Amino acid sequence: MRKITKLLGLGLCALGMSAVAQSASADVLKDIVKRGELRVAVQTQGPPVSFVDKNGERTGFAIEVVKMMAKDMGVELKLLDYDWKGLIPAVNSGKADFLAADMTPNAKRTLVLSFTEPYLYSDVVLYSKKSQSFVKWQDACKGGVSIGAVQGSSNVGLLKKKCPDSTIKEFAGGGAAVAQAVAADRADAGINDIASAAGYMIEYPEFKVLDGAPKRWPLSFATRPDENHLLRWMDNYFMLIRNDGRLETLADYWMRGPTWKKDH
Amino acid sequence: MIDVILSTMPFLLEGLWMTFKISLITIFFGSLIGTVVGMLRTLDYALITYPLGAYIHALRGTPFLIHLYFVYFMLPATGISWLQLEAFPAAVIALSLYTSTYVAEIVRGAIEAVPRGQSEAARSTGMTALQTMWYVVLPQAMKLMIPPMGGVYVIIIKGTSIVSVIGIAELVRAGEHATQRHPRELMLIYGMTAMMYFAYCYPVLRLARWAEAKFGSVRLPS
Amino acid sequence: MDWILDFYNFRVVAQYIPDFARGLGSTAWISLLALVISLSVGTVVAIMRMSANQLLWRPAAAYVQAIRSTPLLIQIYVIYFTLPALPLLGRRLDELEGGIIALGLNAGAYMSEIIRAGIESISRGQVEGAQSVGMTYLQRMRYVVLPQAIARVAPTLLGQTAVLIKDSSLVSFIGVFELFGAGLLVYNERLMPNEGYLTVAACYLAIYAVMLSLTGYAQRRLGGTAG
Repeated sequence: MRKITKLLGLGLCALGMSAVAQSASADVLKDIVKRGELRVAVQTQGPPVSFVDKNGERTGFAIEVVKMMAKDMGVELKLLDYDWKGLIPAVNSGKADFLAADMTPNAKRTLVLSFTEPYLYSDVVLYSKKSQSFVKWQDACKGGVSIGAVQGSSNVGLLKKKCPDSTIKEFAGGGAAVAQAVAADRADAGINDIASAAGYMIEYPEFKVLDGAPKRWPLSFATRPDENHLLRWMDNYFMLIRNDGRLETLADYWMRGPTWKKDH
Repeated sequence: MIDVILSTMPFLLEGLWMTFKISLITIFFGSLIGTVVGMLRTLDYALITYPLGAYIHALRGTPFLIHLYFVYFMLPATGISWLQLEAFPAAVIALSLYTSTYVAEIVRGAIEAVPRGQSEAARSTGMTALQTMWYVVLPQAMKLMIPPMGGVYVIIIKGTSIVSVIGIAELVRAGEHATQRHPRELMLIYGMTAMMYFAYCYPVLRLARWAEAKFGSVRLPS
Repeated sequence: MDWILDFYNFRVVAQYIPDFARGLGSTAWISLLALVISLSVGTVVAIMRMSANQLLWRPAAAYVQAIRSTPLLIQIYVIYFTLPALPLLGRRLDELEGGIIALGLNAGAYMSEIIRAGIESISRGQVEGAQSVGMTYLQRMRYVVLPQAIARVAPTLLGQTAVLIKDSSLVSFIGVFELFGAGLLVYNERLMPNEGYLTVAACYLAIYAVMLSLTGYAQRRLGGTAG
């Protein structure tokens, strides 16, 4: 066994050295223009932010923002789909220029990646079956109540802070699995962003959204910390589309009501 | 319910096709490498058996996701151009290596279970080491190899779902996408993917059963 | 020193040691219980499957084929989401129980095939010899056949156990915190994949190393590899 660990250690050391040698490219924006292709890592975490629609097309709010971005840059867009577990390595390893997801920056995360200014703020809500007595979200914050959340999402940390008495159940299967858990009485309530929750209300007539929002998350894109030009460019771009109203139009369509459901 | 089945079916079938492709290539290369490694491990040279043992245990002892992470994300950091792998080849390489470790241990275990006296007897009649392996040891080892091999193949077929982390849209991934559009039908959609795995894995297991009956009917004397 | 921290910041990992310890304990415990279930179920099913009695081998074969042909996640979901309150227990299985049982039943199907191969490789002469000294069927199995059979297939059983240990991470889909979840915690909070994934890999490897030495010990106790 000692041999194995030794071998493994040696291998890791070799990789460590090579990892330092990497990350030499000066300005990725130049590369993007040169190769005529923008490479963006996305995750498919579900409507309305990023999903595969009924025609098999990848779409959603974040995806449409990126499509617009590439068009305005005048380059082709290559969307690289990863699971959340592969998203950060994809950007770190340079396979993608930046990642476009509904990521919430915080003090620790921004130590590792550079986040853009938020392109949108999104309310978090709790939901439960109508048969539960909860009215406000605070009603679910007591001992003996279990709240389901997506494993590892920022909402888990939020619940730990705001509802320390509740039992928090983290489900690895995404928002749909949390809704399933609430429907199967495995969790008394669920937590998600308001747009996703609105989707569940249509699917599950027996659900209700609890009043109030424990948090409003900023949503950002992120890139490697040394890509200053790209970061500035993205911030600048958000400012531009906010000013000409295109961001609002997209947000209205995707994030504020079920309009998109008819087309996708 | 019917409309959910109908609208998601084409996507799931596409996913199944990807699962089929990846698993078939992987099983082929994994078995090839695994058989060679397994046979080499029965040799008496520590210089060969120890590194191979380390290889097998390091890979079997760690989750496949880590291997994939290593091949797809960490190897490119070396800056060597032929290590800049796209998702599909990276997945196939990582999965083949992973498969090979299981195949290797089954092959080695089966070969070692054949009493040593037999190969010694075969060698004493003037057979070469290879002849002994091919005509005496392997036919008997088959009996022990085939049943767990069928199991390993179906584990690999189902294990391919992890490659979705690097964006390969195989069956489980396709199912996940479908549940996002129809969250209420989560169990139905997962049930459908289970049926598709069944449609693929069950024949594989029957085939292993058939092969066992056909090639492996020797009982080991003791 | 600096490049090590660049590659793998152990100072950050140190902050998460309690989480890793909790995850490691959870994974080890879940795997151990599931292993016990799977070996017991596997042995019984293997013997049932070799029986000439249709009432025994048919259900055993159906169980083995059905479990092996479908993904573990679905089996976990079915047990967790659709199983009603159990009559003897008077309630539904909780996350941990459901996860362990699903995992144990799943691995049991694979174990049974491996054990069956081992049993079938034991020569008839030995069984007949045991019979001639007046051993009953159960005695023959217990003292002659099973120890040798299991010793022969021990490396394959170990391989299946390695699969079981890693598969145990799927219980996170029904909300159980385990080792991989601890790695993901580092990944999620700090966005540091190396620190999360490589630490997890090392912990799994440690569990596997323990299993490896236990197998070697068991194999020696049960009487060598070759028959």
